[in-house]
Amino acid sequence: MSVKEFDVLIVGGGLSGLRAGLELSKKWKVALVSKVVPIRSHSGAAQGGINAALGNHPEGKEDTPEKHAFDTIKGSDYLADQDVVMFMTKEAPKIVVEFESMGAPFSRFENGKIAQRPFGGAGSPRTCYAADRTGHALLHTLYEQCIRQGVDFYDEFFLIDLISVYNTVTGALTLDLTTGELVTFRTPYVILATGGFGRIFTASTNAIICTGDGVGAAFRVGVPMQDCEFIQFHPTCLYGSGILMSEGARGEGGLLFNNKKERFMLKIAPEAKELAPRDIIARAITTEINEGRGFEDAYVHLDLTHLGAERIKERLPGIRDIAIDFAGVDSIEKPIPVHAGHHYSMGGIGTKFDGDYCETSLDGLWAVGENAAVSVHGANRLGGNSLLETAVFGRYIGRKMLERGLPSRPSLDKIIAAEKATLDNIEGLFKRWESNSGKKAVEIREAMGETLSRNVFVFRKESELQQAVNDMKNFQKDFENVSLTNISSPAARKFNYGLVRTLELRNMIDIAEVTAFASLWRKESRGAHYRTDYPTRKDEDYLVHSMVIRNNSGDLEMHTKPVKLGIFEPKPREY
Amino acid sequence: MVEKQKFLVYRKNPGETPRYERYTVPLKPGMSVLEALFYIQDHLDSSFAFRYACRGAICGSCGITIDKFPQLACRTQVTAVKSTKKPLKLPELTFGEVPNDWNQETEILIEPLPNMEPIKDLVVEMEPFWKFYEEVKPYFVREYIDVQPESLQSFEDARSIEHLVYCILCGICWTCPVNATNSNYLGPTALAKAYRFMADTRVDDSHRSVIAGRVSKEDGVPACEKHFVCNRVCPKGVKPGTAIQNTRKEYLTP
Repeated sequence: MSVKEFDVLIVGGGLSGLRAGLELSKKWKVALVSKVVPIRSHSGAAQGGINAALGNHPEGKEDTPEKHAFDTIKGSDYLADQDVVMFMTKEAPKIVVEFESMGAPFSRFENGKIAQRPFGGAGSPRTCYAADRTGHALLHTLYEQCIRQGVDFYDEFFLIDLISVYNTVTGALTLDLTTGELVTFRTPYVILATGGFGRIFTASTNAIICTGDGVGAAFRVGVPMQDCEFIQFHPTCLYGSGILMSEGARGEGGLLFNNKKERFMLKIAPEAKELAPRDIIARAITTEINEGRGFEDAYVHLDLTHLGAERIKERLPGIRDIAIDFAGVDSIEKPIPVHAGHHYSMGGIGTKFDGDYCETSLDGLWAVGENAAVSVHGANRLGGNSLLETAVFGRYIGRKMLERGLPSRPSLDKIIAAEKATLDNIEGLFKRWESNSGKKAVEIREAMGETLSRNVFVFRKESELQQAVNDMKNFQKDFENVSLTNISSPAARKFNYGLVRTLELRNMIDIAEVTAFASLWRKESRGAHYRTDYPTRKDEDYLVHSMVIRNNSGDLEMHTKPVKLGIFEPKPREY
Repeated sequence: MVEKQKFLVYRKNPGETPRYERYTVPLKPGMSVLEALFYIQDHLDSSFAFRYACRGAICGSCGITIDKFPQLACRTQVTAVKSTKKPLKLPELTFGEVPNDWNQETEILIEPLPNMEPIKDLVVEMEPFWKFYEEVKPYFVREYIDVQPESLQSFEDARSIEHLVYCILCGICWTCPVNATNSNYLGPTALAKAYRFMADTRVDDSHRSVIAGRVSKEDGVPACEKHFVCNRVCPKGVKPGTAIQNTRKEYLTP
């Protein structure tokens, strides 16, 4: 067995992981492992922008981090932790200016300042952008800076499991896809930055690689999953492929129409209209379609034609290309067919109530970005806040760890014993998969996705959620018996993506089970979690974070964590 | 009845000679070639290897050669392969011995990217690609600042480099005939990336001349033979060949 020793292991090469790596590798020996070359990460798919109260927009001169925090907390339906949000929004202008100094190619106003546009749920136009490919621009910029600094990358390494001794993380077991070898990283700090897990749904804007590898690994070593019932359904996914059509399209003036040529958002959110938060528009669009006012019973129209060719080419060239390539629609000439679809996971790896931001209950293990519930998004994330979260907390973790110094570690013999146990377990698992005669991974994955997409979608109710919970238990049993051939030797595992996708399913199936379980538990409607049988918010019972663990008998168990309030008083949410 | 599509697929185990295998895939509406590859992996052979990530033509992972035309698998519709016109003057690409009975009318031929060493199936060795990318020092060397105001750039200057910025590093431009014969050639990707930085008005002159110095060496811009294959195959409109031309004009003229 090959063992590599470092001060910190970062898992994930998206914006969160890269930003933490850039900070930490100035002083420490850091390994950044990623299952794809970092610039392939899903951060690169983010389109619309990154929020910061820069005050560059003529209509946003009076904008402040406090207003940004208020919009974020109201958008979260008051489930976000308010101290963390305030920290993030105060850091936001610094992070955007820092990105610019690293060379990020932001779009500019005529006066040469970073351009900003209006976005959903925001009281001020504060979303900074690089056309409609902001994530791509930032991801490449941060990768370039990591190359400049010589960050130690381990590309095409897949995280299998975390290794821990009692309540302390001591490293992780990975699969080196380039050789097929199992490689152990021995480190006193591990940062999980593995992104979202949208692929638990059949249709998602997420990349195929968004499978929650870090979330699954953390959950298996006892770290709770937090707020997993809160799934963001993006209102405007391209009909057919489900690819994202940026909120920037509406920020630039795009309008939504049903088959009666009605702008249905006018009655749902008279003030914010097409720029209401995502949860509200996703429900409105789904309602239009469900009640027969969609096209082909499947989509509504996102109309940009009135913006004109010049503006579309300048501000929204990326989504124009995507709609042409994947739906055969040129947005200059025709409306884009869109529907709501899975987009983002507000929940994820649970964080400590009394720790530093991003710290988990397993000593030495931190989580950042979409795989973590920090929680700055609460029950509904505002557009433009996810790119922000990655960089703010990537940098924060780096600085915080350097400030704290390296932690004390369990004795070496205990660490070695834990590493061996983890390795033996996985080798045993691979042998079992080889000798199993059950279903193929694809059958379980597709069944799981269908169940979630049918029963844990935009509108939810008891009977359907119960069905999903029951189904998930069966899928877990199916997965016990999953069959996969020829995976025991390193030669057979070299670039074996069939194995990778089965290991990914091992993570997704746990997350899917928790998602259904937490959605059934929360008998209220808040943010993206809408129960037709409990259509109102119930602060007296549910103004808490859900925290799910698997107990010793293998069943899921619900715990809760208080929400950090105290800055903005919870109020009804109107737009 | 479900419509089906036949594929003739390049397969290779590490260290072995390549072979071609036939697969039949049931079609779904709007199915991309990438989805067809997943069908083969999911249902027919779990060891079938190819790279992927976003399935939305933004990550640059899934460049492969489809009917002798290097493209992104995710952006290519299965039903459009036979009817889509290929770019003019594509070089002839050979990966292994394609079976004589390949029916060019009905079977879609799947092969890896050209001019990179195949490792396993469609997965190619990209070490040289990344090495050349890093060699041109494609980054800013400014001190980080995080207090407003940000440094300014005119609207026009920012827009003028946008098409260069949006290179997704997929490697499809390595279809270039020079890459086929000269393994030291930095290649269109790295040279376009170099120009992205040289053309950025915010880059300081000393770093600009470091980049210019590197790309002016014999294995850089001078090695380009102006085939412009790169411009024609690029899936994102980066136009690396034009960037190389501009570099020649702006930085290499004595």
